[in-house]
This record gives sequence, C-alpha cells and structure tokens, in this order.
Amino acid sequence: MARTGQIKRLHAAAAGILTASLVAGVAWSEETAPSAVAVPAPYSTECLGGSTEIVAESPLPNVAAALQRRRTIRILALGASAGRRQGGFTHRIERILKQVLKGSNIVTINRGVSGELAANAALRIKNEVAMNNPDLVIWQVGTDDALAFVPLEELAGTVRSTITWLRDHNVDVVLAGLQYVERVAQDENYYRVRELLREIAAKEHVMIIRRYEAMQFIAAAQEAGGGYGPDEFERTGAGYNCLAQYLASAITLGAFGKGMSGRPLLRSQPDQKK
Amino acid sequence: MFPREANAIDFWRGFALITIFINHVPGIYYARFTHANYSLSDSADLFVFLAGWSLRLLVGSPRPTPRATRYLVLRLGGRAVELYAAQIMLTMLALAILAASATLLDNPLLLEWHNASSVFYDPILTHIGLATLTHQLGYFDILPLYVVLMMMAPIFAVVDRFAPNWLLPLSIALYLVTLIVPLPIPTWPVDGQWFFNPLAWQLVFVLGFVLAREDGAGGFVRRHIDAIRWLSLPIVAVSAYIVWNRLWPDPTLMPQPRLLFIADKTYVTPMRLIQFLALIALFSATYPIIKRWASWLVDFCARLGRNSLIVFCVGSLLSLIGQITRFVYRGDIVVDTVVVLLGVAIMALSAWLPEWREQVRSRGSTRPLPAS
Repeated sequence: MARTGQIKRLHAAAAGILTASLVAGVAWSEETAPSAVAVPAPYSTECLGGSTEIVAESPLPNVAAALQRRRTIRILALGASAGRRQGGFTHRIERILKQVLKGSNIVTINRGVSGELAANAALRIKNEVAMNNPDLVIWQVGTDDALAFVPLEELAGTVRSTITWLRDHNVDVVLAGLQYVERVAQDENYYRVRELLREIAAKEHVMIIRRYEAMQFIAAAQEAGGGYGPDEFERTGAGYNCLAQYLASAITLGAFGKGMSGRPLLRSQPDQKK
Repeated sequence: MFPREANAIDFWRGFALITIFINHVPGIYYARFTHANYSLSDSADLFVFLAGWSLRLLVGSPRPTPRATRYLVLRLGGRAVELYAAQIMLTMLALAILAASATLLDNPLLLEWHNASSVFYDPILTHIGLATLTHQLGYFDILPLYVVLMMMAPIFAVVDRFAPNWLLPLSIALYLVTLIVPLPIPTWPVDGQWFFNPLAWQLVFVLGFVLAREDGAGGFVRRHIDAIRWLSLPIVAVSAYIVWNRLWPDPTLMPQPRLLFIADKTYVTPMRLIQFLALIALFSATYPIIKRWASWLVDFCARLGRNSLIVFCVGSLLSLIGQITRFVYRGDIVVDTVVVLLGVAIMALSAWLPEWREQVRSRGSTRPLPAS
C-alpha cells in the first residue's frame, strides 16, 4: 500500500501544473503580459535533483481574458476527487494563484461526483457552465471509464464533443488524465485510455495533466531511495512539493521562453508502455 | 404475520431497486436496458416518489380516523433514526469492502473510488462528515436524502393533518425558492454539494404522499387518469427521443433562473419532474397487464419492494462488489450477466429471509413452547 502516497502527490503536481498553466495563459494573451509572473519560482533544496516534462501545454485564452477584464478567474472542477480536502486541486490552486497573481480574485467551484463516467459528467458540465459561468474547467477524466471498461470510441466521442462545446462557449479546459498505480500499469485497456486522452488533447490543443507520468516519476524516485525520510507521509509531502515545482517551472518556461501558440505537445520521459 | 399481497406500489418499488442496483455498476452491459437511457428521470425519482406514497400508508388519511399526531411524529422520527443507522452501517461496510479490495488486490486506486479517499487520507474530519451526512460515498447518496426526507416527514404529516390543502403549495414554494436562489446543500470536509438536494427532492416525496390520498390532488388524478395518460404520452415520447439522441437544448441559452429550464438531477428540475410524473401516469397502466401475464414477476418484485430498506442496503453493497468484480475480471457480457443474476438473486434472498423468519415465528407462536 506504499503507492497510496502517490495519489496525494498527484494533486500537488496537478495544482502546480494548473497554476503554471494559468500563469502561462495570462502571458499568452497579448494584452496581458505581466512579466513578473513569468519568472518561475526557484526549486527548493530537496527538489534540485530532478525535473521532468509531464504536461502537454496549451494556451488558456479565456482565463487570460478574464484576468485582464475583471481580475477574476472562475474555475470549475469536475471529476473523481476534484475537491478532496487535503492535497485537492482547488484549494492549492486557489492558494497558489492568489500568491502569484496578487490582487486577483480566484473563485473555485467544486462539482466532482465520485465514480461518474465521462458521459454523465459531460451532461453535467454543460449545466454547471450554464449556472456558474466559469473561465476554466478542470476535468479529471478517464480513470473511472477505464476501470469500467467503457468502449474507447464512446469515451473519445464524449471527451471530444465536450471540449468542442466548451471551446464554443469560451471556456478553457484542462484535462487531468489517468492515475498511475503499478498494479494497473500493465493493463492494456488502461494504457489505451491514457493514450486516447493524450491524442485528444494534442488534436484539440487543450492542456492535459499527465498524472500517470507524474505519479510514475515519484514511484521511481521512491524505489531508487530518493533520500526521503522514513515516514511515508513526510515522503509524500516532499515528493508532492517537488513535482509541483518541476511542473510549474516547465510550463512557465515553455510558455514564456518559446511561446505556446501552435507549439507541438511534449512527449514525456516515461511514455512507453510498461 | 404473513406478508401482504403483492400490490402495484411494492412491485414498482422492487422494480426501482433492481434498476438502481444495475445503474450503480457503471459500464455494465445491462444498464443500457434500464429506463434511465430513455427517460429524463430514472429510478431515483421512482424510489423517492414511492417512499412518499408509502408514507401515506404509514400516516393514513387526515379523515376519518387520523392517528394521534404525537404518535405519528414519534413513529416517523423513529423511522428516520432507523434509516440513519442503515446509512452509517452501509457506509462502514462499503469502506471496508474498498479497503479490503485495495489490500487484497494491492491496488490503492480503489481507495480513491466513490469519494472514499477523504475517509482514508483525512479521517479525522471526514468521520465527522460521515456521521453528520455531509460526507457521502458516491452511489451511496440516496439514503442520506431519504434520511433527511424522513426527518422532514413529521412536518409533512402535521401540515397534512391540520391544513391538508397547504402541503403541496408549501412544498412547491420551497422547491421553487431552492431552484431560483439557488440553495445548494454543501458537503464537508470535501467541497461540493449534495448530489440529491433534499430541499428540491422533497417535492417528489410530497407528491408521492399527496397523490396517494384518495381525495384532494390524489382524488383528482384518479378521476382524470385517462386524460392525464393521453397528455403524458407525447411528453414521455418526446423526452425519450431527446434522451436517446442526446438532443439536449443548450443550457447556456436558457433564461434565468436557469434551474427552472434545464434538466438537472441534483435539483430534480421541472423538466425532469414533469417527465417523471408523465412517465408514472403512463406506466401505472401497465401493472394490471404485467400482473395478468407475468404474475411471477409481480410477486418477485413485490417481495423486494415489501422489504425495500434491507434490499436497498444489500443492493447498494452488491453494486459496489459488482464494480470491483467487473474491474478484476474485465467486465464483459459474461461477467456482467453473472453480476446481475447473482446480485438480483442475493437481493431476493435478503427479501425472502425476513418474511420467512416472520412466517416461522407465526407458526411457532401457535404451538406451545417446549418445556425447558
């Protein structure tokens, strides 16, 4: 059960990605270019030893526009554990964003329904958008569908049509992909769902958080020793923070250093099927 | 005491319990045959409506011989406590199933299922949430609604007793306020809202309670049921066409307050509610036909319905076990068939056992006790 800690770290990583993504999205907007926020935060000491690319980047124009127009970002979070209290996405995002984007108002709306398949979430997303007017939707998608063996073409159709609908309604979307657990790493269906989401994200030019790789990276670091303390929770916390820093830095640098428009998606290091 | 004869309410309740069981196993092959795929409403609406209808059987009509109000309040309060105890037991068993599966399969992903992660990773606050029903496991969220509705039931019963014509208008008023403001019921410690908003769903419960009356609104419906069924036919047909073809209107184009014009389960919005009432008006006509041609089916479902609480609890756990089984054995049609057949059989067994126990007790009470 040592792997359970990975799940916690995932959320910190995701929060870091989201934070950096939002910052990148702001920078992408020509009108809004607060150069101060483009500088990635330096790594803390325990995180100096590594980095990885585990995010597919894409601009967040509606977030940038919202920030420019009203200094407020409304974030709608959906998915299995979107609102988990400690280590959950939204609290961390809100906290970090408020630090980075000083003077801005960050509103997060948690509407996660555990165990919900993408097809049901897709219907609910539209209602929630209609009621909450978010600038960004964070959609944790795929894990429940993979575990329930939902046909791939059905899942693909659902995710694609929802992304299109959100785009047509001026809402940015970030997909949070599958979780990594060693036990299911060998599973062909799980692998296919993971690949499918990546392909969709690439084709639709939406950001995807590669949670699988993030967690896999931590697992490898753990197995290699990593220099973490003996307590699992301490170890979890350290990995959590490092991963968030790597990701935030990678995205921020990628966005500001090379520009994001039309940039091809990055392939991550642990991309091969195990 | 022998079980009562099969009746329409027990039959439809049993039907709802079976479909809830199937629908709570995501991805299962047989879910495509449940009416949720052709209808804006699903078995949850039916379950809550029939719970309200059953409340009428418990409370009785305001006239001619109403039960003592004090007795009613205590009885309904006791029922709410009973449901609460069932919810707590169910939750603990579900958590144990998830924890055991995660351990045996060496798969911590199972600890993340169904909102359980907070229990395992943040247990101190989450246990408070479990006890106060502000933290609910996914697919285990109907019973908390039922608990709250049963806590509200004494108020419904008292208003029904002393101002029967006011109950439905008051319920509709609360429903409209909940949708117009809107009034979400927050979850804690995990941010979110109740999947079934009790302030909105109370209307479904009250409708069951009110329509079960022989007079008043219930009497009106009975007198005009043929006309209502003709009106219901196009509503059910059009909504089936919309749901089947996924031709949902764009909710962002709906006027404010949007909850009055969109299809939403959490708030059981008017569109869904109207479709549900039309559906039951229409399909209630089929009961005599089913009873005539498939009396075994009526008897089977009615037995489940007569023992709805225990069957619901068993069915909820079986749904979870079914999900884990599908995950382990890579759900295909064979696995799904086994899950459904075994699940329904165990639900039937759980309904049969208490009735058999009562029969044994009845027989035993007619004989003298053996000398000790």
